[in-house]
Amino acid sequence: MRATVKDAIAVFHPQGFLDGNTSSAFLSIDDIEATIKLNVDMVLVSLKNVIFFNRNGLDAFIKLFHKVRSANHIVVGFCDYDHKKYETIMKFYKDEVMFSLFKTQEHATLFSSSFKNKSKNILLYSDDKSQRAAMAIELHDNGHNPIVAQTRKEFEEKSKSQNSYDLIIEDTFLGQMGQKVATRVTGNAIIYTVSSFLDAEIGNTFNIVYHNNSLNVGFRLFIFDAYKVVSMNVHALNFFSKLSSAAAEYNATICFVGMTFEKTPLTFKETLEDSGILFFEQMDDILGDKDLLKELGASSAAVIKNKRTLNKKIVTEIPNFIEATVATIEMMTNSQAVKEAVKMNEIAIAETENKIASSIGFYGDIDGMVILVFPEGIAKTACELLIGEKTDDKELILDTLAELVNIVGGKVKTLLSDAGINVDITLPRTYPNIESLFEVAKGKKGVQVDLNFDNDKFLFFLTR
Amino acid sequence: MIKQEKIDSFIAKIPPSPKALQETISALNAGELPKAARAAKEDLALSSYLKDLVNKPIYGFRTKIEDVSQIFGILGASRSQQTVYSYMMSLLSPNEWKLFNLTKSTFHDLQAELSVGWNSIIKHLDITDKEIESAIALLPASIIVSEALFNEKIDDVELLRSVHDIDLNTILKRLCSKDLFDICEQIAQKWEMDEKISQIIQSASGVKPSADLDINKLGKWMHLLLFFTLSKPAYIEAGLNDFITFNTEYVQDVYEDFMNVMEIQ
Repeated sequence: MRATVKDAIAVFHPQGFLDGNTSSAFLSIDDIEATIKLNVDMVLVSLKNVIFFNRNGLDAFIKLFHKVRSANHIVVGFCDYDHKKYETIMKFYKDEVMFSLFKTQEHATLFSSSFKNKSKNILLYSDDKSQRAAMAIELHDNGHNPIVAQTRKEFEEKSKSQNSYDLIIEDTFLGQMGQKVATRVTGNAIIYTVSSFLDAEIGNTFNIVYHNNSLNVGFRLFIFDAYKVVSMNVHALNFFSKLSSAAAEYNATICFVGMTFEKTPLTFKETLEDSGILFFEQMDDILGDKDLLKELGASSAAVIKNKRTLNKKIVTEIPNFIEATVATIEMMTNSQAVKEAVKMNEIAIAETENKIASSIGFYGDIDGMVILVFPEGIAKTACELLIGEKTDDKELILDTLAELVNIVGGKVKTLLSDAGINVDITLPRTYPNIESLFEVAKGKKGVQVDLNFDNDKFLFFLTR
Repeated sequence: MIKQEKIDSFIAKIPPSPKALQETISALNAGELPKAARAAKEDLALSSYLKDLVNKPIYGFRTKIEDVSQIFGILGASRSQQTVYSYMMSLLSPNEWKLFNLTKSTFHDLQAELSVGWNSIIKHLDITDKEIESAIALLPASIIVSEALFNEKIDDVELLRSVHDIDLNTILKRLCSKDLFDICEQIAQKWEMDEKISQIIQSASGVKPSADLDINKLGKWMHLLLFFTLSKPAYIEAGLNDFITFNTEYVQDVYEDFMNVMEIQ
């Protein structure tokens, strides 16, 4: 069984009865290997469609949790259960709960760093005082407003006024939280969250491949959210100095936000500044300052030096990219595509109204970026298969579009791998309108293919 | 990915039930077991299927049963009809499974396990209706239909399911406005099975509760039995565990009873 991956959270969905005989059948050695290789912030097992389980039934998944945790330092646990199942799991594992328990997947996303649903008012309660504190800290760090009930009575009273809160959390347990350096994208800046003690371990927890690829696809501003950092040692200092020097080759900037030097020698700050790293007290000092963003290379007007062009290796594989895209859109819309024009130039969109776009990067043996521009109509139809109904909710459409582009990416990966070329794909990015796409794509040269799906124009653009 | 034409062509290819089978069923309907056995013997594949099935360990007979008249005699008219329907279903199964990791033999095992489980339930509910007893034979048709429609689209299905928790039944419904269980109903119609059988199968999908409370209750039992069976290692490894979604809320009110019937602690 393989996990479904969305917003950097992988979820397994076993169904039926989980006991000692069955649970190991859900996870083959290949499944476990594949899960470890996923670039995600959380691995969860949903108990929504499980009607019966015993301890032996959960053990196979617990073994998976151990393996994933020790390899990737990320959050692992169960989700989608009721009060009875929660009590049962707690009883089974008593003092050895190393995994987390989230009542729903939505609750789990609050504790991930995707920053998808920021600023939620959340009422929370746990019988365990340290759990209450841990949850409040995590939620606060992830941009929410936690309200902690200190007693069961207080919780019950407060929960009565349900409208005062966006969400109410109980029957939740935080096991060891992940120490992986979480990544999120804000506009054209990439934000990494680092915490506690920065030492030689940063070399393992920081995804350098992802970082290098982000440089390749044109990101120029990298911010380390360091509010939670207690101290840094010399190994981490060397790591960040090198990172900054490497970024300088791309004309990119690295910033630290919220780092205090109470327990870190001030000379470290000077060394880091010498290597080109900038320090800010607040995130808004950067993100709220348009001029500064422009200067740092994270705005639309940024001139990207060393423009990269398509090379022969990628051009040879273009049919694979187009096939993957066309096949996916055809699958999702149950319609046929007609190829209209192929040209090599800067991206050109005749009509920019009512269009949305998405992009996904790939890196490995070859690297580059695929941009897809959808008329809203096609996007809606394609997303209908995943959502199940017609919708005009643009946020939901964009969100689902990201899944669709992920499918395209997955397909590209398979087709290229058949051709002996190994690549990884980045998280997809969506653009609510053509203007926001142009901020990233204008000036880039690439191959543009115009496609026609049931008389709707669809655009495919491959660039580096 | 899948269009209505593909479904139509699948239905069109289903052969009408052979003459020997029709005679067997009509004799079983009339309660004439010796006549039914004579008709069944005409069809060598049917006799061989019957012998293979009832001699599986799950049926629990101590000695090997070789003769069709003996099989019908032991099973009685109702269960014999159910078994003959299961045979008809096995005629639809592919020679080589691609989407699911099944073989002819594991598919027959699945049929046998569902059948034995259903018989325990029917006994517990004190039901003697022949059509209700036979209904279980149609359930595996949903698996055969999934295989037939999706076996050329395995990569697409895998990719789709790698980003979204969606089952085959929902994919089909959203693409063609018709789900696996609607197609099962079409098969039942083609083979002139009793309407009650289709109704039970539809509610056993877990997504289409029946307005008829009795049928709905049977649907719940069957939905739960299906997932009890699909939780066994061989079927999890075959990729069957999540081919449709298990609706745990739907079966909540029969769950305790079910655990007792199946003797699960």
